[in-house]
Amino acid sequence: MSSVWLPCGDYHENYLQDQGWWQSNFVKFKMLLLLAVVFIGIPLFAAEYWIGVGTMIGFTAMGALGVQLLIGYTGLITLGHAAFIAVGAYTSTLMVLQFPWPQFMVDAGLAYPVSVIAAGFAAGLWCVLFGLPSAKVKGFYLILTTMAAQFITVDFILTQYVSQIGGRGQAFSLPPGTIKIGPIVMDSEREIYYFMAVLLTLMIIGLANLLRSRAGRAWVAIRDNDIAAEALGINIVWYKLLAFFVAGFMGGVAGAFWVSNTAALSPEHFPFFLSLWLVGVILIGGVGSIHGAIFGSVFMVVIMELLQMAVIPMGDYFPKLLIDFAYIKDAAFGLAICGFVIYEPNGIAYRWWQIKNYFNLWPFSY
Amino acid sequence: MELFLMTITTGIMVGGIYALVALGWVLIYKCSGVLNLAMGELTLIGAYVTYSLYEAGLPFIVAVLGTLAVGIVLGFLCERIFLDKLIGEPILSVIMVTVGMSFFFKGVVQFIWGSDTRVFDPPVFSLHPIEIGFLRVSSVYLWSFILSIVLLLIFVAFFKYTRWGLSMQATADDETAALSLGVSARFVYAAAWAIAFMSAGVGGALLGNINGINISVGYLGLLVLPAVVLGGLNSVPGAIAGGIIIGLLQNLGGTYLDQYFPGGVKEIMPFAFMAVFLLFKPYGLWGWERIERV
Repeated sequence: MSSVWLPCGDYHENYLQDQGWWQSNFVKFKMLLLLAVVFIGIPLFAAEYWIGVGTMIGFTAMGALGVQLLIGYTGLITLGHAAFIAVGAYTSTLMVLQFPWPQFMVDAGLAYPVSVIAAGFAAGLWCVLFGLPSAKVKGFYLILTTMAAQFITVDFILTQYVSQIGGRGQAFSLPPGTIKIGPIVMDSEREIYYFMAVLLTLMIIGLANLLRSRAGRAWVAIRDNDIAAEALGINIVWYKLLAFFVAGFMGGVAGAFWVSNTAALSPEHFPFFLSLWLVGVILIGGVGSIHGAIFGSVFMVVIMELLQMAVIPMGDYFPKLLIDFAYIKDAAFGLAICGFVIYEPNGIAYRWWQIKNYFNLWPFSY
Repeated sequence: MELFLMTITTGIMVGGIYALVALGWVLIYKCSGVLNLAMGELTLIGAYVTYSLYEAGLPFIVAVLGTLAVGIVLGFLCERIFLDKLIGEPILSVIMVTVGMSFFFKGVVQFIWGSDTRVFDPPVFSLHPIEIGFLRVSSVYLWSFILSIVLLLIFVAFFKYTRWGLSMQATADDETAALSLGVSARFVYAAAWAIAFMSAGVGGALLGNINGINISVGYLGLLVLPAVVLGGLNSVPGAIAGGIIIGLLQNLGGTYLDQYFPGGVKEIMPFAFMAVFLLFKPYGLWGWERIERV
């Protein structure tokens, strides 16, 4: 998606402005306002429940950003991203619980932050491992390889072997107080929300900057026409693997974040469903834009919450609805994907782009 | 030695069912270029429809015929509602519509039939194993194998000798030429989906007889993906061979590798094999090689 048209009379004089972070003062104001709402407004005024929903949106968005990079920017369709999130989550948990940390690091609360970064690297490398076939195959075959990544990682390695470490059986329990960053113990919705907001903001800034660098342009070139990209001197295999690494890194950090939001970690948190859900999120939000990943996560999570709220009062009359809500959720998600792909293939981000253009060009829209 | 032979026989017989489902998958891909990820849910629907008809008191064969009829209707509906508008769209859109369909079907099926395991009651096939020479084969496997082979033969004959089958082959071969000769491509797409629903439905009914019906039948339906990759995406004989090979691999892996890697080798084996296989021979054993170097 190309960038937004500038308002009448506002134009760029050099490339530096064209690539600029803030396209106009209005954009700067708008983004700062958004940051203020996310960091101050929501934690201050929203109820505990909705802060939890916000955390869920953030987690979805973190996963979806990696998928967006792979599918939307590099054209590598992946249906196994939950595996990389799971690798991140397990790396982080294992490091926090089993690694022999020096006492001063535990006291300083550095164990978890370090493990988050390590989780990113572990998941990134794991993602590169399953991205290797992308050097040779593409399209549907790559989809199958990433699906294989999902089944091999989650259903086999994590369930059968990693979960057995320490003799805890299926799930790792995280005693309260283990997850702390510096002096702050992560035990309330609000702290987790702040952690999510910081991570998500850093990720978006990092990804947006990567995308306007050489690597980002190479990725887009590979997506649009890989043969032409190679003719232009782009090392396709290297940049594809780099995309896998970055996407896996973000997935790993998302997984490590998820650890702070849960009391026990088990492979059931990362089913094939989650991988498909993330792809659905970016399809609904819009493929090929960072906005898309965010809009998609907000839309899907909020719609599901609203659906749940709508079902609860009906539960008095049709108790089956309440019991089988998970299935209704599945069906609604499936219909939403089909509807968006068929009737609104460019997603919500495209509508947003049109609205922005409309106001920027008003009153002379031609 | 006896264990080895038993494993091989069971593998081939389960593979026959996979081959049946894989045939439906390849058909859709050949005719309309749609890569269908909802195949697992089609098997699930088939299994539950057969179960419901059987529990309503119909004989098993009649229940299977009823499933075929339901399959035709659902196949036509699906194609008209979901996939008609997507001809010529990028691969991601088409795949994601089938993913959306799979979620929708899974949700609806679980909403209607719940998530408990259902067992055909009274059992359709006798519980006593049948002895052929020194081999003992459980009768479920044997009858499933026979039934799926019969259906495979019927489908192959349908393509070779009937007018509709020939027009489907023509469309798969060259769509423009088929259109100019008066073949209705829309009808062919719908027919492909109907046949896929039918074959997956019968496959589901047979798989449901082996282990009982629950959501994991849908997972078994996903195994067609390794099967079709192995055989080549657009080859009907490849799909049949691929299905049987996957059945064999799964059972051999389950019997011999389980002691080294305890746990779910049986479930993972086909996918792991597929990931490695793709590295060396991405177009499968009999698929068309489109030479395109990245």
